Amino acid sequence: MKKKFFSAALALSSVIVALCSCARPKSPLDASTIILWEQEDAQVAPYIDSVLAAFKNLPENKAIQVVRTHYQTEDLRSQFQAASLAGVAPDLIMCPSDTAGLFAVSGFIRPVDGLIDTSKYNKAVMQAITLDGKIWGVPVSNGNHLMMFFNKKYAKTAPKDTDELFKFCATDARAYKLDFCMAFDMGEPFWLMPWLAAFGGWPIDNKTPTLDTPSMRSAINFYLDLKFNKKYAPPECDYNCMDSLFKEGKTAFIINGDWAISGYQQHFKKDFGLGLIPKVSSTGLWPAPMVSGKYFMISSGIKPEKLGIVRRLMEFYTNRDNQIKQFKELQRLPSLAEASKSPEITGSEVSRVSMEQISKGRPMSMATEMRAIWDSARNYLGLATSRKLSVEDAARKMQENAAQKISEMNR
Amino acid sequence: MNDKEIYKQKKLFKYLLIHLAIITFVVICVYPLLRILSVSIRPGDKLISTDLSLIPAGATFAAYVRLLKETLFLRWLWNSLLITVATSFIGVSLASTAAYAFSRFKFGGKKGGMILLLSTQMIPAGMLILPLFLMIMKLGLMNTYLGMIIAYSVSSLPFSIWILKGYYDTIPRSLEEAALVDGTSQLGAFYRIILPLSTPALSIAFLFNFTTAWNEYLVARVVLFSSKQYTWTLGLFELQGQYITQWGMFAAGSMLVTIPVLMVFLYSSKWLISGLTLGSVKG
Amino acid sequence: MDILYSIYEVLWFALIVLTGIALIEGYFYYHFKFYDRRWFFPVALIGFPLAAVAFCRALGLAADPFRPLLWFLGSEALITLFFRHIVKGRNQLAYLLLAPAFIGLALLLVYPFIFEIYLSFHDLKLTTIMQWKNTGVLPFVGLRQYVNVFTTSPLSEVTFWALLGRTLWWTFINVFFHVTGGFALALLLNNSIRFKGFYRTLLVIPWAMPQVVAVLAMRGEFHSQYGFINIMLVKLAAAYPILASLGIGPVQWLSNYPLATCTLINIWLGIPFMMVVILGGLQSISSSYYDAADIDGASYLQKLRYITIPLIKPVLMPAVTLGTVWTFNNINVIYLVTGQSGGTEQADILVSALYKAAFTYNRYSYSAAFAIVIFAILFFISVFYLKSFDAAKEER
Repeated sequence: MKKKFFSAALALSSVIVALCSCARPKSPLDASTIILWEQEDAQVAPYIDSVLAAFKNLPENKAIQVVRTHYQTEDLRSQFQAASLAGVAPDLIMCPSDTAGLFAVSGFIRPVDGLIDTSKYNKAVMQAITLDGKIWGVPVSNGNHLMMFFNKKYAKTAPKDTDELFKFCATDARAYKLDFCMAFDMGEPFWLMPWLAAFGGWPIDNKTPTLDTPSMRSAINFYLDLKFNKKYAPPECDYNCMDSLFKEGKTAFIINGDWAISGYQQHFKKDFGLGLIPKVSSTGLWPAPMVSGKYFMISSGIKPEKLGIVRRLMEFYTNRDNQIKQFKELQRLPSLAEASKSPEITGSEVSRVSMEQISKGRPMSMATEMRAIWDSARNYLGLATSRKLSVEDAARKMQENAAQKISEMNR
Repeated sequence: MNDKEIYKQKKLFKYLLIHLAIITFVVICVYPLLRILSVSIRPGDKLISTDLSLIPAGATFAAYVRLLKETLFLRWLWNSLLITVATSFIGVSLASTAAYAFSRFKFGGKKGGMILLLSTQMIPAGMLILPLFLMIMKLGLMNTYLGMIIAYSVSSLPFSIWILKGYYDTIPRSLEEAALVDGTSQLGAFYRIILPLSTPALSIAFLFNFTTAWNEYLVARVVLFSSKQYTWTLGLFELQGQYITQWGMFAAGSMLVTIPVLMVFLYSSKWLISGLTLGSVKG
Repeated sequence: MDILYSIYEVLWFALIVLTGIALIEGYFYYHFKFYDRRWFFPVALIGFPLAAVAFCRALGLAADPFRPLLWFLGSEALITLFFRHIVKGRNQLAYLLLAPAFIGLALLLVYPFIFEIYLSFHDLKLTTIMQWKNTGVLPFVGLRQYVNVFTTSPLSEVTFWALLGRTLWWTFINVFFHVTGGFALALLLNNSIRFKGFYRTLLVIPWAMPQVVAVLAMRGEFHSQYGFINIMLVKLAAAYPILASLGIGPVQWLSNYPLATCTLINIWLGIPFMMVVILGGLQSISSSYYDAADIDGASYLQKLRYITIPLIKPVLMPAVTLGTVWTFNNINVIYLVTGQSGGTEQADILVSALYKAAFTYNRYSYSAAFAIVIFAILFFISVFYLKSFDAAKEER
């Protein structure tokens, strides 16, 4: 009985192995195949595929294959590095600009200057992909910026400044018995940067961190005040928590990125409102969210004969029609200047407000030094907002530590 | 009479106590699964909820339907199953023979070999991504099941060999010697005597191989790149984006992939406890 | 694809070289039966590769003598071992049984290991990576990366030594509770009770579930406001004011005690595995021991102390040793619990710090050295474990 079982098992497994090795697919790496890696959220995939299919249907592209592979953000980075080292990098990647600096410095991607006319895209979105005077990618969309969303059941309009916001929190929010007046991810420094700007600061100047500034101290104090004195924001809340609070109607305002718009529109229908992150009354400055976008980047290992196809593909993907289609389906703003002026874009409230928020924002630096800034800001922001460190110490150490990490990185 | 009743009561009390203790642990183990169930039927893709109710308002199975309809989930499940089953059988057969050599033979490098096995587990796995990628590529195993099966069955070998060796060591040698005297070969003795007696350890090794291969992500990510070849781990992670994750479908998928593992565990109980024959011959 | 083919060609070439050498050498060895002599190993291992390299250089084949030397040394080692142990036939069967497993391991793990060692003595970082790709050469820095591992830290606040201490503590607590928890459950389940199989299946759920979801679900239960644990604590404190006066109340788990939270979750996650292993191990203990002990009137604890624990050791030992290694290197829980919320450093252990250096700052060589140091630490711990286990066995 057992003997039979074992021999059966052995036979089975050897057959499976044999079958599997036969099933090895042919590797589609010839000259008319473009390999594209992306790290988009799952709901974006159908859109990408539809554009790629349309590209393939053009008469001159009949012979071309475009293979799309999805990776998670971190995986895209490590796999792209490994594949580049092994000499089997994909031809194109599509990702946000924050990994671009790394790829550019290590030489895994090639600049697009000269390949494509970059002047037709919006200025800010190009600035975010410029490093050492070279342009490293072609923008697919503009934005990736934070803005404020609200639930129209509670608030009719977005507050213009923090005074107005706090007034709402002190009166109406109490009346509605909300758990919290507003929620946003206060542990992630990406959410801190707009406020930092509103207090007159910015985390990086060219390639030097500028964190130990009075503006940083005011921004952290602003956080502490929100969390512990005014109690308008939850003391401990990450992305998923703020998202749930907002969707369940337990908070009136949320600060989240433009990527969340379509999800919220589906969820709230007509109750969904959006506005600018309110001006900080004490300084009179607008918060400036970091603006970047999604970009195509070309592997430096691409075969020269593929460059033409890749150029056509990128131009097709970012042409006026597709940029407008992208906005309609994904609520992502066009990076093409011509498309952003079109009536489809200027006509809708969502894009108008979003565009206005972008105009208040500043391009996110693609310098590799940003990594060190994010990490040390995150660490000391956490320590300061859980009151383990004084605000002064936190800001000072944030600066020291970022500088130290940068020196270690470049040593 | 009275004594007997007290004894009986005592026994009943002990019995209840054991059940109570186990049930407490069962609750701790099952509760999060129920929470995931509630995520999977909760509308609006929310991972966290502010209330504790297990059946959320507006519960819907839409996530399950979407998962099965809109993604290649069944295909991924099938891929995983194929890889996992092959891995488990190959891993266990390789380990059982190697462990036999370690347990019954004296040879040069035996201790070193055992430590070498252990030491393969000591390098942080994340550091192996780059060399593994280069390696798999050189061997031409990119995007193949074979690559996965080799990688998986080999990487769980150290544990399987160690645990099986430990178990074989407890089986008295006199049993085999008797068989050898009867004219069986050494391998025959292993096959007829040692293997049937060590089903508990074999099933531990099998379960270990199975769950590790079933839930593995890192190697799969390196080896596979076309979504038709994906295992469910890669497939499900496609639902997770930088900021937005489709938690409903993610949780639904997680519920579905837990079922095969639980079935294997349920079935394994027969093998896990069947080494009892040992009692009659030992000592 | 070109690269694939060229690599194939190289591999084939290597294989042919190896076979050729083996044939020639084999004839000599076999004919004169050198392999029995005491000087066989040193002479073969030193003499032959040197001679081969000298020969190659004379033919003008190898410009850089280092690589071929390694190649020849490796092939020679394999060949001599083959002769010494397999041709002689002393342990033929044992080696045959071991061969598939070890060839597989070598295939998968030897190359990565050598790769890491190579990196750790060189300097691979963002700015040198392209040079490496194009020329295959990296600046050699000797032990500098190792010095850096001990003197600097990949984190902001925590030094290497503090991290090491924290990691050892984390490993100890986790393994301790995994084993005791698993033991307790296994003993409970080993009674003859009803629904045993059913209970056992439910108890392995944390192990059987995909880890990501399991951890994220548990993490939700630790939320300061909406998590089950704090809700219970609030209710407890409200129901029994005396507990509240003792300071029991809601806790901001994730921001104030992240490592403790990770530990609790990891313990929950690891117990079922140990339970299954121990349950299997309990089957290896003959019931006649217990019968004899019953006749002697031994108490339950005595039976546990003198029969169960000593006899389960052969099975428990590997599980504990490997459990230690795995826990030491396990960052899944830490990453999932803290990484997504704002990556505080308060919960970092050695390996998670290592990954930050490797993946966030691309200090590949530094992190390779770091990984080798971790390897060395674990190696010492395991050898120490095994030694103490052997000592205990001899005592018995």
